[in-house]
Amino acid sequence: MLEAINLSKSYGGHQALIDLNLSVAPGEVFCLLGANGAGKTTTINLFMGFIQPGAGYVMVNNLDITGQSGETRKHLAYIPENLNLYGNLTGLENLQFFAGLGGDKPDKSSAEQLLRSVGLQSDAVQKRVSQYSKGMRQKVGIAIAKAKQADNLLLDEPTSGLDPQASNDFARLLQDMRQNNVAILMATHDLFRAKDSGTHIGIMKAGKLIHSLKSNEITLTELEHLYLETMKSEGHVEVSH
Amino acid sequence: MLKLVIKKEFLTALRDVRLQVSGAILIALMLTAVFVGKQGQKQIQEERTKAQSTMYANWLNQGTKHPHSAAHYGQFAFKPKPVLSFLDVGLDNYTGISVFLEAHKQNEILFSAAQDSNGMTRFGEMTAALILQVLLPLLIIFLTFNIFSKEREEGTLKLIHAQGLSMRQLLMGKVWGTYLMVLLLFLPIILLAYLLLDQQSVSLDPGVTTKFLLLTSAYAIYFLVFVLLCVLISAFAKSSGFSLLTLLGLWIVSCIILPKATTNFADKVYPTPSQFEFKKSIKNKVKKGIDGHNPSDVRFATLKQQVLDQYDVETIEELPVNWSGIAMQAGEEYTDQVYDAEFSKIENIFNQQNRLSEWAGFINPYLAVRNLSMALAGTDFHHHVAFAKAAENYRRGFVKKMNKDMEVNHKPGVAYGDYNVGEEMWASIGPFKYQLPGTSTILSNQWRSIAALAFWLVGLFFLSSLFAPKISKL
Repeated sequence: MLEAINLSKSYGGHQALIDLNLSVAPGEVFCLLGANGAGKTTTINLFMGFIQPGAGYVMVNNLDITGQSGETRKHLAYIPENLNLYGNLTGLENLQFFAGLGGDKPDKSSAEQLLRSVGLQSDAVQKRVSQYSKGMRQKVGIAIAKAKQADNLLLDEPTSGLDPQASNDFARLLQDMRQNNVAILMATHDLFRAKDSGTHIGIMKAGKLIHSLKSNEITLTELEHLYLETMKSEGHVEVSH
Repeated sequence: MLKLVIKKEFLTALRDVRLQVSGAILIALMLTAVFVGKQGQKQIQEERTKAQSTMYANWLNQGTKHPHSAAHYGQFAFKPKPVLSFLDVGLDNYTGISVFLEAHKQNEILFSAAQDSNGMTRFGEMTAALILQVLLPLLIIFLTFNIFSKEREEGTLKLIHAQGLSMRQLLMGKVWGTYLMVLLLFLPIILLAYLLLDQQSVSLDPGVTTKFLLLTSAYAIYFLVFVLLCVLISAFAKSSGFSLLTLLGLWIVSCIILPKATTNFADKVYPTPSQFEFKKSIKNKVKKGIDGHNPSDVRFATLKQQVLDQYDVETIEELPVNWSGIAMQAGEEYTDQVYDAEFSKIENIFNQQNRLSEWAGFINPYLAVRNLSMALAGTDFHHHVAFAKAAENYRRGFVKKMNKDMEVNHKPGVAYGDYNVGEEMWASIGPFKYQLPGTSTILSNQWRSIAALAFWLVGLFFLSSLFAPKISKL
């Protein structure tokens, strides 16, 4: 369960996030849409504890992350936008390392099985990550997140730069995790992926959550139209839920 | 979790081609320095041992002559090349290797390697110490300059944090992982260096194993200090480039600029007199003493009267002992006092300069390990002074013995050329033997350097622990 309550953040004089309220229940996928600088990554960073909120609360499984960062991180898995991993280590070694930090280090055979389950080819498992494509690295990232078996997953533009096949594989894995009752918050530019994978969609602009809606209540065309209208509009915009 | 990070850091460094190449170069340099240094030390020690025994044989075979002539014939003392000097030549190239021991004066220790070499010697020899003190820290810089910034740039720092690892644990993991890599380069070579110690050399210095272990420990601590410093700076640097520039700047300041500046500063604060002034001062003071060769000297006359009164006789011809022998020894003792006072002054100045350099170890860990390394290798100023004092004691001993023989056995009225002694007398003076200062003496001389290294180690661990939570993940 992920919750942002009246959450704000500013950098110097710039308001990066203004009074954000959102909630992601187990089994939900909340996709945050918005242009660059809209506040999507700031939101993810606040949930992860990479930065501290200026005002408001960030709750993970009903625990306030301020002052309980260590405890809340146990319930969070995360996949950053550009995940390069360690080029000198193999995919298997990367997984064993990161999974080991998050809990029990998986043995070789279970780690290999996990990597294959996210679609990494068997012959790639023992190759150094420096030889991997972005899609392959993202798959290792997903394996790391899965290995942690956290209740909540945060994704920062995970499909950016992925080819359609890899993006599709990724969406399938996301659905698997959703079915396992994981609460997922994903920042993305990809309207199609948001509509396809998300249960809820939020459109952000200039640090504000302008629209928050259920994905089954809107078609892709309507979403695209709403998104473009929101991006065009200036000044105060009514927030719709 | 710490173990995982250590293993990962070690493995990634081990697989880095740039580090493989620079590590291989460093190992090659170390092996060369150790082998060449050891060969050089062995050869020099053999030469000095041979020279020492040849000179002693000359002393024994000088034929029959008056004991005072023998005191002028003199002997040589050769400074043994300390066993561990192959690791750190320290001041050895500048302090001279032998001293001529004769009656009436305390000669300088001459024939330093620097005197016989071109100006390049001033830039330092490629010794194991130079590699360990200067070049290995450079490798540490290359191992660590982007140890955090790269994680930020590659997105792995966020992932590490997300996995639940604290920045303190990560920092320590990186420190120990890098340190393990450094030890992998350092320990096998230092072990090899130990195996190269031959028993003949070890007999020169029975405490050599303890000194070797302490030397190894001093370097191990120095590397840990350097690793901590570099990782800490890298953790707070905004970019890899900034981190590299900062660390290289630090290296230049600590390994090149500060040591020179400290020496210059010490010389300004505690200036040493020129050799000319020093010798002139001794000459003037000796002149005021008893000249055993000059019967018209006033102090000579006073002493003569004292001796005549002591034996209750009117003339020196009536004395039961040889007056010249007594006068010579009195002259020696006065000269010894002058030399002791003057050398004590200059030794005090050098000690003050050295102490300042040792205190500077609290500002610069390089100076702390440099001073400690020289001391444990037996090539620092204290060792030079210890040798000079041992040689001087030997000189005083044999000159006194010659004077005593003259006093007791050269009967009054017998002409100088008519009293001679031979090999039996010469053999009664044993060969010059010198034992290097023990480990406890070295450690007590170097307590400031030891404290400085401990200060750096504890201080950096404390700072790491204090500031680690403030490391930015973005």
